[in-house]
Amino acid sequence: MFPAKKFRLPSGSLCSSGPRSAVIATFSLLALALTLAASAQHRSKVHAAARDAAPASPVLLDTMTSELQRAFTSLGKTIPNQKDADKVLPPYFISYSVSDASAVTIRVQYGALADSNTNHVRFADVQVRIGEPKLDNTHGNHRSSAVNSLQMPLSDDRAALARTLWLATNAGYGNALDNYLRVKTEAQVRAREEDSSPDFSKEPPEVSVSAPAPSIAIDRAAWEQRIKALGLVFREFPDVYQNIAMLTVQNQTDYYASSEGSRIVAPRQQARVVVFAVTRAEDGMDLFRGQTFEAETVDGLPSQPQMESAVRELGKSLEALRKAPVTEPFDGPAILSGRASAVFFHEVLGHRLEGQRQRGDEEGQTFTKELNKEVLPPFLSVSDDPTLSTFDKTWLSGTYAYDDEGQKARRVDLIQNGVLKTFLMSRLPIASFAESNGHGRSQTGRMPTGRQGNLIVTSTKTEPEADLRKQLIDEAKRQGKPYGLYFEDISSGFAVTTRSAPQAFQVIPLVVWRVYVDGRPDELVRGVSIVGTPLAAMKRIVATSDKSEVFNGECGAESGTVPVSAVAPAMLVSEIETQRQQQGTQRPPILSIPGAPSTPASKEGQ
Amino acid sequence: MNLARHLSSFLAAALLSFATISPLSASAQTPRADAEKDPVLKAMLEELNRSMTHLQLPGFEKPYFIEYRLEEVQDFETRAAFGATEGSHHNHARIARITVRVGDYKTDNSSPRGDGALQLTSIDDDPIALRSALWSGTDQAYKAALAAYAQKQAELKQVQTPPQADDFSKSKPIVSLADPLKLSVDENAWNDRVARDSGIYRSDPAVNANQHMIQYSTAAFHARVTTTWIASSEGAIVRKSSSSYSESIGLGTQAEDGMHLDRSYGTSGISLPDLDSPEEFHKHAVTLISSLSDLRQAPIVEEEYHGPVLLSADASADTLHSLLASGITATRPKLGTEARTNGPFASSYKARIMPDFLSVVDDPALKTWEGKYLVGSYSVDDEAVPAQTVQLVSDGHLQNYLIGRTPVRDFPESNGHARAGVTGPARPVIGVLKVTAQQGLSDDELNTRLIQLAKDRGLKSVYYVETLGTEATPRLLYRVDLDGKRTLVRGAVLDDLDQRALRSGVVAAGKNLWVANYATEIPETVLAPALLFDDVTVKRANETNDKLPYYPPPE
Repeated sequence: MFPAKKFRLPSGSLCSSGPRSAVIATFSLLALALTLAASAQHRSKVHAAARDAAPASPVLLDTMTSELQRAFTSLGKTIPNQKDADKVLPPYFISYSVSDASAVTIRVQYGALADSNTNHVRFADVQVRIGEPKLDNTHGNHRSSAVNSLQMPLSDDRAALARTLWLATNAGYGNALDNYLRVKTEAQVRAREEDSSPDFSKEPPEVSVSAPAPSIAIDRAAWEQRIKALGLVFREFPDVYQNIAMLTVQNQTDYYASSEGSRIVAPRQQARVVVFAVTRAEDGMDLFRGQTFEAETVDGLPSQPQMESAVRELGKSLEALRKAPVTEPFDGPAILSGRASAVFFHEVLGHRLEGQRQRGDEEGQTFTKELNKEVLPPFLSVSDDPTLSTFDKTWLSGTYAYDDEGQKARRVDLIQNGVLKTFLMSRLPIASFAESNGHGRSQTGRMPTGRQGNLIVTSTKTEPEADLRKQLIDEAKRQGKPYGLYFEDISSGFAVTTRSAPQAFQVIPLVVWRVYVDGRPDELVRGVSIVGTPLAAMKRIVATSDKSEVFNGECGAESGTVPVSAVAPAMLVSEIETQRQQQGTQRPPILSIPGAPSTPASKEGQ
Repeated sequence: MNLARHLSSFLAAALLSFATISPLSASAQTPRADAEKDPVLKAMLEELNRSMTHLQLPGFEKPYFIEYRLEEVQDFETRAAFGATEGSHHNHARIARITVRVGDYKTDNSSPRGDGALQLTSIDDDPIALRSALWSGTDQAYKAALAAYAQKQAELKQVQTPPQADDFSKSKPIVSLADPLKLSVDENAWNDRVARDSGIYRSDPAVNANQHMIQYSTAAFHARVTTTWIASSEGAIVRKSSSSYSESIGLGTQAEDGMHLDRSYGTSGISLPDLDSPEEFHKHAVTLISSLSDLRQAPIVEEEYHGPVLLSADASADTLHSLLASGITATRPKLGTEARTNGPFASSYKARIMPDFLSVVDDPALKTWEGKYLVGSYSVDDEAVPAQTVQLVSDGHLQNYLIGRTPVRDFPESNGHARAGVTGPARPVIGVLKVTAQQGLSDDELNTRLIQLAKDRGLKSVYYVETLGTEATPRLLYRVDLDGKRTLVRGAVLDDLDQRALRSGVVAAGKNLWVANYATEIPETVLAPALLFDDVTVKRANETNDKLPYYPPPE
């Protein structure tokens, strides 16, 4: 449903991982793929705030502009040396989008270095549209065929750059022509579509040339030691069976030119530490936890002691989870922590507010007809604001200055006081909205669609966390339940929004506590799985805390993996239904992990 | 998409090659103490011993055999297109393949799918991290082996005919410690060199007049060093190291009728000096680019032809590789059958498979041929068995198979041909396959024979294949008239070049052997003479002639 890039670590990513057992099963091979796939580097495209004054126009942008102009004016003209001198269809729109991405990756496994690498690649996405905005080659399920990608030379060699763009444009034009002819035929034989909006919105061109991102300047050897030290923490936890610690630093510059006259250069930087660990309970249940730290550059990451202490908490929590009792089916009140709420809103609400989901025969269109109606309790509002780069001093990874269709990023008030106001729009119009609102995003090689950036949930009915907890106990008592649930950490699930599948969401609760009404201490349980329908679950929010938490992650969907953030306060839900998750049946390892105190000595080794 | 097709065909042709450095720096008597000075081997042996001693699920069998094969791969690759670099890439990884067998040599858990577990391990020599990865893989492989063993027992009860051979052969454990090689290349110089290579079409005055017709031009350099450590519970301890270097270029265009025309050239070896000098490489590239112009002008081959075809030694090597290499390896046949092995020669033991003037030997010990390094050469295989020279075909008759430690009927022991790509299971593969002819002819004599055959049959012309691309598609094919005149033709594919043609259709062979080094994950070499076939089909390939570019390339 939401194809995720295979090499993406499940932890810290939203909506991109499958059921938990599959995550675990693919874990080690996934790590292997990380190293072996030569081109498996991060290629997601995002733009960020421009900082410096515009410098001289870079050779790359100039070459893109002139070659685009040449293609736009040449294509569709009669070619003298062609035998069939019939005039072919001219494109009405061409865009070139080039990502120039440098990356440093350091990966540590079991506390020792498994990979340390640098990378610098340029990729061009060429988009060609034939026909007219009302009906073009991207119509319906032909949408993805409008993008052609090719690797680009890294140097400022105009001839080589132009030649590569020509090669990609020529292939792209051929593809577009083929799809346009099929679209025309299909339009003639099909019944009238529910939503007869055009295929491409009209937008003014944007010109913004910022300085490219600087090259990555980090002390690799020092960071290798720091990441190893994070991995070594797990040696204190012999029941943690697999662990990975990883740093990725990316400095990227996106260049965009279109036949409408847009010329954009937008830099972006990101540093990210991911720690991921796995254990297995005696009954075969696989358990995992992840922890991520994000900042614009490595200098903004937490201090080494702070990170090590977070990793230590992760190790403790996994060992505690191993021994925790398995959950029972439950239907009652619960608190979602701020972090858990953020993931919940991203999955349950955010994905359903993507513009393209309101159009098309296969989409569920949960919210299509809910515009200007109350979809949340009136004390809640939701916006998506990619122009914010921090929230309460925490860097937001969903920030960008221009989207992947060259549209300026802007804050969009999706839900105001519980009432649905608009959708996340790319340049694909829908019946209710004809224009983009700067949320057309994609990873390199994919067609942009409406996506989230920084999803921010705000509340006017807030209480201190302690009061919220007291209210949970009261609510449980009122419902005659022995306990309520506290969801401390939730991992990615996937949102199903198409018509052929039930309108359900799945997020994976990782850390869940029973909060007893009789004053017993809270009890950790494992194997909790949430069931239910999204709208119902959200309408049962009765109060929120007065503190918001940030979840930074990566989100996979049809248009690929893009960095996102979600910000939300903790929430009290009057009723949530949970069941016991499916689990594996493999026993835990037979021998203890090497280095563990109980390891049988190897008598032969001498 | 055309583009993808072109690029992939180029990649397939871009020869990456490998070679094994073989000096056994220690005799079979190397004490285990030497091995334990190597931190990787020490960690492997410790975890191996711990597992053999303690690994057992209550109520189930212990493993009877465990093997760790750990590979360290270091790559440097740089690519360029149209005269500019696209960037370079490093890879440094260690991967362990863990094999656990339960049961006994006669019947165990092994299956044709390959067994065991893979683990990424650390590139640091950290003993706990190395052992942790092995521990995790061993646990996984042992549990999988128990399940597979139970399944095997059930499958055995389903068939009347018992297996024709044991599941695993015994092998005398060896200790062999070669020094690890190091990857050392001047990266900036190679970035520049491949950038220049990919721009020859526009920089060299001999060819740049036609630069507008070139649709793609790419070049690459790839260096790889692989070090392999093997330790088994039988006591085998092996450390071996190999390296490979290759430089390649690929270009393509379309003829006026839309036919795709592609050429590529590569030079490879086990060390940098084995590669062409920059001047030599440039010369080859220019020849290649000129040949594209020639091909654009060349007439299309006739619709269908049956008759004599002379394959150059280069084209013969490719043909013999595809007809022989997979057939002369012995692999376990399907359970319940009486078959000896699989493939086209499964029932050909002692039978004639070639004319009686041809013989075939696989000799992994052969390191060079006429000064050229043979990438298929190696001394210890990937099951820690020393490589043996195997006489496969004598006077046209199949005498032997290449085999690893999976026995087949009449072949109870390994002859040291179980080879593996990185992360892959070991399976029998050729090393240096040498095909020779008694009383081989010179090139002139072969040409004379070819034309004589044409005259005897009353044909006006016959064909000569200079180089083959993939799937029996000639890259350079000439029509040869009775007066010996050669005309380059395009758009052909060969047919009926099969095992039967090999058995009874070869009328003569050359005396000079061509060295074909194959750059697959498991490096292979074929040495072959030119072959004159009596009756081969040459016909039009009739591939899709795609549209010519919709607009001209930039100036």
